[in-house]
Amino acid sequence: MSKHHKDTGTRIGLYVVYTLTSLFFLYPLLWVVSLSLKTVPELFAVPPKILPQHFAIENYAYVLWKARILKNLWNSLFVVTLTVIGTLIITLPASYAFSRMYFRFKKSLLLCILGFQMISPLVIVIPLYRYFSKINMLNSNFGLIAVYIAVSAPFATWFLKGFLDTIPKELDEAAIIDGCNRLQILRMVLIPVTIPGIISALLLIAIRSWSQFVVPFILLDKGDMFPISVGLVNLQSTTDAISTHYLAAASVLGILPTVVVFILLQKFIVSALTAGAVKG
Amino acid sequence: MPIIQNKTIGIGGSTKKSISLRGLGKGPVPWLIPLALVLILMFLYPTFEVIRLSFTNAKITGSNYSYTLDSFKAMFSDGAFYIMLRVTAVFVLFSVVFQTLVGFVIALSVDKGEKLKMKGTVFVRTVALMSWAIPGVVIGIIWRMMYDESPSGVLNYMLETIGVGRIAFLTNPVIAIISVTIANIWRGTAQSMILLYAGLKTVQQETLEAAEVDGASAWQRLIKIIIPSILPVAMINITLNTIYTVNTFDMVMSLTGGGPGRSTEVLALSSYTQIFQMLNLGRGAAVAVFLLGVNAVMASIYFYMIRNNEEGV
Repeated sequence: MSKHHKDTGTRIGLYVVYTLTSLFFLYPLLWVVSLSLKTVPELFAVPPKILPQHFAIENYAYVLWKARILKNLWNSLFVVTLTVIGTLIITLPASYAFSRMYFRFKKSLLLCILGFQMISPLVIVIPLYRYFSKINMLNSNFGLIAVYIAVSAPFATWFLKGFLDTIPKELDEAAIIDGCNRLQILRMVLIPVTIPGIISALLLIAIRSWSQFVVPFILLDKGDMFPISVGLVNLQSTTDAISTHYLAAASVLGILPTVVVFILLQKFIVSALTAGAVKG
Repeated sequence: MPIIQNKTIGIGGSTKKSISLRGLGKGPVPWLIPLALVLILMFLYPTFEVIRLSFTNAKITGSNYSYTLDSFKAMFSDGAFYIMLRVTAVFVLFSVVFQTLVGFVIALSVDKGEKLKMKGTVFVRTVALMSWAIPGVVIGIIWRMMYDESPSGVLNYMLETIGVGRIAFLTNPVIAIISVTIANIWRGTAQSMILLYAGLKTVQQETLEAAEVDGASAWQRLIKIIIPSILPVAMINITLNTIYTVNTFDMVMSLTGGGPGRSTEVLALSSYTQIFQMLNLGRGAAVAVFLLGVNAVMASIYFYMIRNNEEGV
């Protein structure tokens, strides 16, 4: 009886926490969506209106084509896709070696790779800017993507190695008995059972690369090539109060792809993130 | 470092398993080369290069420079450097404390709600984690809109309605750093929540139930069982959040650009400003080396923690 009473109290308390949490995290997002659908007079309404009178969808059309946000989104998609592919190509074999082979300095090498993840990308971009400008690689997608790959490789290596570690070594051994060599084991035995891990890695790398700012901000100065993060800051610098609705619409477009992916595949991503973080 | 180590592996690396496996050879070297190349070219080389540049008087373009200690001397004798460090320290300290606390409260309440089979736990979890998937620059842009100080600004309107009065969120230097910190708490709580939530899943259910049967109150269970068992995860979380917050650049760039004045110019932003706005590469590189030093210290702490926490490395 008292147990039941206590539960009701707990439930009410929990719902208070849930409401506050939802308000704190959702309000800024709802506000930017609301701004993005307002007309100029509504932007300056006092008191501010929570909901726009009529939904000014045309703001989105304006930023997509006139403010060239579509081009920025496309650039991001292009860079992110190649980054994901490149990262997987270089980290899959390495994580296989780290998971399945025994060699000296393995532990130190792994820690060294993890150490790279702690370094602010700003630190490495400073000399790369100088270096790239000397060899004429500023504003080059190749150079840019190489840096993106380097930035996401440490995480990917650790994540994939962790995933491969969970796959029983008996699978390899059976394949060895069947006469497979290492490449065949990786291709025919391990990659198929690692698909969930590869997809998680792919999503996490894609979301992080989509958010990447400091690398393209410094290595690119041609507006045509800006990914969405830099495009938005660029748009912000030319925005004043009277075009806030455009900046808001562009921001919504900039977060939509990753947020939608996150919501749809939330379970997948959360378990991937926790698997990477808490082991044993 | 990996260069030297890789070579050593090439010579001495032999698989303990004696089964011969052809297909890219016996040792790990061919498997590691692509990764090693990228990391050496794009991480290791630039890291050494930025250290080298910090001992020069180089400009961002042009190749004439000489070696000097002037950048470090100027940096350490500049009062603004210490003010910047203080701003960064305040920003990092309060960000991490509140990210951890808020993240813990949310994780705990979602976990409890799931055990009671309450509705809405998935919703709350999603909402709290969403900011993880939002680019930092956009978070800065969104919060700049929230902090709008004009009559149509939403937060100020709400504060006025409840009788607090208007606040100069981004124009008052002292308040600005608080505003930036709040936006960063909004941003980084997701990271804490994910880790602590995972940590809570590992707390032994039997121990909790036994304690409850023995008459331990909810508070006692929290202090005596839950917190001690997630402490290792919490420490890792605090370390990681500290590293990410120290490295923050994108969000502050779009939220305040370091202003008003230089009141929200955190470490990474300061390095950028020196190099690309003051056009003083040596000085900016010195700041970057300082940042690198902080990264290295934090990384060592992190390594120390996961060594205690993990076996299978």
